[in-house]
Amino acid sequence: MKHKFFALSVLALSLSLTSCLDETPKDQIPEQNIYDSANNLYVNAVASLYNYIGAHEEGEGLQGTCRGIYDYNTLTTDEAIMPIRGGNWYDGGLWQNMYNHTWTATDTDLYNVWKYLYKVIVLSTKSLETIDQYKALLTDRQRDEYKAEVRAVRAMFYYYAMDMFGRIPILESTAQKTADIRQSERSEVFSYIVNELQTVAPLLPLEHSNLQGNYYGRVTRPVAWFLLAKLALNAEVYTDNNWTDASRPDGKAILFNVDGTQKNAWQTCVHYCDLIATAGYSLENDYASNFAVHNENSKENIFTIPLDKMLYLNEFHYLFRSRHYAHGGAYGGASENGTCATLHTMAVNGYGTASPDTRLELNFYTGRVEVDGKYVTLDDGTPLQYQPLAVEQNLTASKYIETAGARMKKYEVDRTAYSDGRMPDNDIVLYRYADVLLMKAEAKVRNGESGDEQLNAVRSRAGMPSLAATLANILDERLLELVWEGWRRQDMIRFGTYCEPYDIHTPSDADKKRYTIVFPIPEKARELNPNLAQNPGY
Amino acid sequence: MKIHQKLHQYIFAASVVSLQIPASATAQVQELNVQRDTISTYLKIQNKGIVNNALDVLNGNAAGVNVTSNGMDRMAQLSSVRVRGTTSIVGGNDPLVIIDGVTSDIATLSTIYPADIESFSVLKNAAETALYGSRGASGVIDVKTKRGTGKGFQISYETNIGLEAMSKKLDMLSADEYLATAKRLGVYANNGGYKNNFYDVITRTGFVQNHYLAFSGGSEQSNYRASFGYIDHNTIIKTKDYNNFVAKIDVTQHAFDNRLVGDFGVFGSTYKNNDIFDPQMLFYSAACQNPTYPAARDVNGNWTKNGSAYRINPPSAVLAERSDQKEMYFNTHMRLLYKLAPSLNLSAFGSYSYTSNENSEFCPTWVWAQGNVYRGEFKKQEYLGNVSLDYAHTWGSHTLAAGLSTEYHYLERTAFWTRAKGITTNEFGYNNIGATASRPYGATGSIYEDQSLASVMANASYTLYNKYKLTLTMRGDGSSMVGDDHTWGFFPSVSAEWDIKKEHFLSGFDGINTLKLRTGYGRSGNLGGISAYTTMNNVQQTGIVPVNNTPTVTLGTIRNNNPDLKWETKSTFNIGGEIGLWHNRLMLTAEYYYSKTTDMLYSYDVPVPPFAYDKLLANIGAMSNQGLEIGFSIAPVQTKDIDLNVSLNLSFQKNKLLSLSGNYNGMNMSAANITAIGSIDGAGQNGGDNNHVLYQIVGQPLGVFYLPHCTGLYKDEQGTMKYRIEDLDRNGTIDFGDGGDRRICGQATPKATLGSNISLRYKNFYMSLQMNGAFGHKIFNGTALAYNNMSSFPIYNVMKGAPERNIVDQNVSDYWLERGDYLNFEYLTVGYNVPVKSNIVRSLRVSCSVNNLATITSYSGLTPMVNSYVVNSSMGIDDKRCYPTYRTYSIGVSVQF
Repeated sequence: MKHKFFALSVLALSLSLTSCLDETPKDQIPEQNIYDSANNLYVNAVASLYNYIGAHEEGEGLQGTCRGIYDYNTLTTDEAIMPIRGGNWYDGGLWQNMYNHTWTATDTDLYNVWKYLYKVIVLSTKSLETIDQYKALLTDRQRDEYKAEVRAVRAMFYYYAMDMFGRIPILESTAQKTADIRQSERSEVFSYIVNELQTVAPLLPLEHSNLQGNYYGRVTRPVAWFLLAKLALNAEVYTDNNWTDASRPDGKAILFNVDGTQKNAWQTCVHYCDLIATAGYSLENDYASNFAVHNENSKENIFTIPLDKMLYLNEFHYLFRSRHYAHGGAYGGASENGTCATLHTMAVNGYGTASPDTRLELNFYTGRVEVDGKYVTLDDGTPLQYQPLAVEQNLTASKYIETAGARMKKYEVDRTAYSDGRMPDNDIVLYRYADVLLMKAEAKVRNGESGDEQLNAVRSRAGMPSLAATLANILDERLLELVWEGWRRQDMIRFGTYCEPYDIHTPSDADKKRYTIVFPIPEKARELNPNLAQNPGY
Repeated sequence: MKIHQKLHQYIFAASVVSLQIPASATAQVQELNVQRDTISTYLKIQNKGIVNNALDVLNGNAAGVNVTSNGMDRMAQLSSVRVRGTTSIVGGNDPLVIIDGVTSDIATLSTIYPADIESFSVLKNAAETALYGSRGASGVIDVKTKRGTGKGFQISYETNIGLEAMSKKLDMLSADEYLATAKRLGVYANNGGYKNNFYDVITRTGFVQNHYLAFSGGSEQSNYRASFGYIDHNTIIKTKDYNNFVAKIDVTQHAFDNRLVGDFGVFGSTYKNNDIFDPQMLFYSAACQNPTYPAARDVNGNWTKNGSAYRINPPSAVLAERSDQKEMYFNTHMRLLYKLAPSLNLSAFGSYSYTSNENSEFCPTWVWAQGNVYRGEFKKQEYLGNVSLDYAHTWGSHTLAAGLSTEYHYLERTAFWTRAKGITTNEFGYNNIGATASRPYGATGSIYEDQSLASVMANASYTLYNKYKLTLTMRGDGSSMVGDDHTWGFFPSVSAEWDIKKEHFLSGFDGINTLKLRTGYGRSGNLGGISAYTTMNNVQQTGIVPVNNTPTVTLGTIRNNNPDLKWETKSTFNIGGEIGLWHNRLMLTAEYYYSKTTDMLYSYDVPVPPFAYDKLLANIGAMSNQGLEIGFSIAPVQTKDIDLNVSLNLSFQKNKLLSLSGNYNGMNMSAANITAIGSIDGAGQNGGDNNHVLYQIVGQPLGVFYLPHCTGLYKDEQGTMKYRIEDLDRNGTIDFGDGGDRRICGQATPKATLGSNISLRYKNFYMSLQMNGAFGHKIFNGTALAYNNMSSFPIYNVMKGAPERNIVDQNVSDYWLERGDYLNFEYLTVGYNVPVKSNIVRSLRVSCSVNNLATITSYSGLTPMVNSYVVNSSMGIDDKRCYPTYRTYSIGVSVQF
């Protein structure tokens, strides 16, 4: 009887109380409520993706913070290095593994890059589904434009993922089960990305994305063209599914369908470079103005990450990370005394010669540093003097443990930056027109034509004498012009120097087997999705 | 047992804070009429010397209970309690606190004036915690406060006043030694011309005073009690202090021929704490600032900074950082108990609590570029209603007690905060946040959150011949926060007790006065890992981007959503007994328990793609805890003039993380088998894998040291000493990474803890000595690692002896992993009960005490009493943040009228 009473009571109370247990949040809302108008659909399904171009957390963002895509494309090359400085910058061998190409599939930073790229790919795919779900709010044209922009963003992230990891999965929908997610060959991913960008480009606004205005920070048509030019230029690499052998397809034989015409890879690259020129981009007279605190009006920059310490969260750590402590301190902030230029970069720049490249002074701190008319001094009262030629992988026993290496200058110092200098107002330059000219020069040379005009346009802006557009000269020019901009790994792979001896880098065993031109699929990703096959060699 | 208790009451007869087992049924447990099967859970609130916090009283007095300071060493304020160890990773491990029937928390308990507390009961066994259902898994502390006695007007006053003095600091190089060492090594060191010991610069003689006034009056029919307490503590760190003011009123009224009893209570407290903003920065700076630098600013108002030192700052400038907290707590509650029939009671209880917490932070531009100003307000309102029916009847040799009750609990949290930077002057502190340049997106926020819990409880207990007892309980909890399919969780328990002494075969045996056996099994839950709305597919702001040239906040999902979340469940089995010999002057208790947490919440890794985010909170893993608790007390001498009583509790505890993987909704999910939780921070330790120290490893206790093995020191080419690291996997390279050349070499949690008290009365004099100890664990002496590393010299000062040791290496290894065993003499109190013969003064007592008398340990750091219990990034790691140890000397007066 007691138990019956108990059972009944429990039942009665359960029913009456369950209704008191409904949740009615007030500081968060159901997902469907944010897609209530065409404008909010744009803001929350399209524009929201731009949160992930830049970053304020390590491992995220296309550029700006550390241990992410930029570092894996820069500190793995002949351009820059993070030496061990005594107790600093050992970090479990992370930076040495980058420089020596001895990374492994278990590196957490590599997995963070994977997660970041695919987060944006998944969120973009979800945005496409959302736009379809709420298409009643949109005109057909709006729907097409919204979807085109999302697909362009997604293609951009596939491009970075394919560039780094080679064989990667193409996601069909967000409802896809893990068991059904499989990789495609690199060439298939490449074709998919090219096709996506070619399809959506006409629907994107023909506007300059770097200018403050309605298109600020967005993937516009010239941005898509820029990506298409890059894809075509690297087509030999990207269509090579057996990258560990010595051979790769010939760019002249790789055919693209460009607006109904068949063009080879080099012609295709030139085509998109020319389209970009027609959109009104040109070289700035002053190289440095592209990297000024207020560089939003540059007619050279094509795609940038908007930075504004008062408005946005994006950060830029590279100056902060490179400068000596006293140097950052002199600006009223701080610094981490880390990255520096390699000996190779110094040599190409003609450091120590009678006539160095003019961009040496613009891109590097190479000696004493003057701030407010005074030399920056160390604790002992002597002036800080960087030692560009004292670079070693491990500086612990060096006399120049703290000062070895030329440091990053490139971007104008924003004295009002927040967060010890990590939050300046300079927009981070991702794509710019000088690169377009150099791409065109290279494509023409590779297609058996002359690239002198384009190469020397870039050189003469820098006040440098003309040179013949040979491939070797173009590779060096790319270093001179585009140093610290995150392109070096891709360039070296395309030019075939990535697995060779360079700077103070001796090829690793993995380099000799050529499998380091892609990174391994992170072991954690494979553990969670056993379908994913490891890249050869790893 | 009776004699034993009387002894205590006799010893502390004059003490206001004496122990009484509450006779009235005031809390849910009594209403439910369940036999508490915990042994000696009632703690003696003895004269502990100076007591600043109610948690001090618990410390060392109950087996299986560890009181600690969350993330700080024990010299800082106590703020966390662990009952029988850690049973959850993300679920929150602080026990549920019930104060006079009102659900509360550790923070509120620590604001209650200790003298207001009549008793603590720590509930940890299966049947007891099952009664608290989804909130009982981490144990329950049931607190009874004092009420009117009904014995006419009484007034009492007590006070304690004490001084605190730093008793130990780290020995760093003096200014002369610093300069001499630099000269000898041929390195340039700035000579600021001063000779400072920065520990002395940041410390002072602490002062603490407590005052407590209580009065009560009325009759058996109708009575009241009111009390006021005030605690003011200027700590040994300059400018850091806290105070606590509490007031409490309770009224009891009997009516209708005593068939109705009404209790009404109001409690309020305000607590102000000016805390250290960044203990590591402060103590690191005090130890390592160049000792030739000035303590104060120069004539131009500038601090002398060492430009290359980026983890330390001038200590006096660091002291100017503020982290202030103001907490206001208010509670009112009422209970009506109506006797429906001689064996049937109906009771209704209602309570309302309001907590307001204001946090303010300020960092001057001397320490933070652009400064940092923060204000936050956090409010909480809690409603609790409970109706219960109790039945108890005895006929012949049978006794039946049963209860049925239902409860509804509603909690609402709101908060608002803003952080700003870009300050023009340091003079405003945090008081004028309008005078700042920047309050960007993400720096200001507010939240609203509510949650409700509905419960039904039933219990029955049957006793035969007054010696066999069987108890069954069942609690059903419905929570708003779990997934819709799991709203209700059921938590049953069964327990049995056998009073062997009452058996015929022992009745004639005078040697044994008490002999009991008890056992129980039950389940309880933990909801701490889930917050409100976690199971809903809701959206919040995801960031800010330019849209049409306007900064625009975008909305979207910010995590993978799991609509199937449910409770963590903890099943406990315990068996124990007690035996009393020699007229119970020798008591021995022992209890073994085993508990297993299943459906353990954790953020498991999921594949990206198809998920957008890499973690999913889910119920998969398992963890076990087992232990043995032994209590012992003896009263070897008991005469008219002399009483001696020695008591001791000892607990052995073993935790194991059983699993963090499994199948969840058809998907294999797992978390890493090896996850770093704690690492060394500081100069030259820039993140990375190499400085991890403490890990969470499946198959091991939570919080194990997993370190490279150092076989000794060797001299390198430069003639400096390095740690020689063994290539454990013999692959020819030394890998400091998580999966590299590391091995498990000890745990952070003590395997055994000890609490012991010796009390002696000689006529009107009395003495009490408390000792606490912990054994079987390790501490990573990261402070010594850093302060012996000569590669940071002369930018950072080093310890005495470091130049001679000449170690230029900062890699973590087991070289600095030390045994953490200690025995601490918590306090010694000597008192005198003044024999007053007055009609007005009923008793007068004076006493003097020394707290934190001495520590016996082989640990070479400042104190072995670091955070060894709370699993977080500071656990088991002494990392440059240790409060200098101090001793408190106090006198106390207590008078009753």
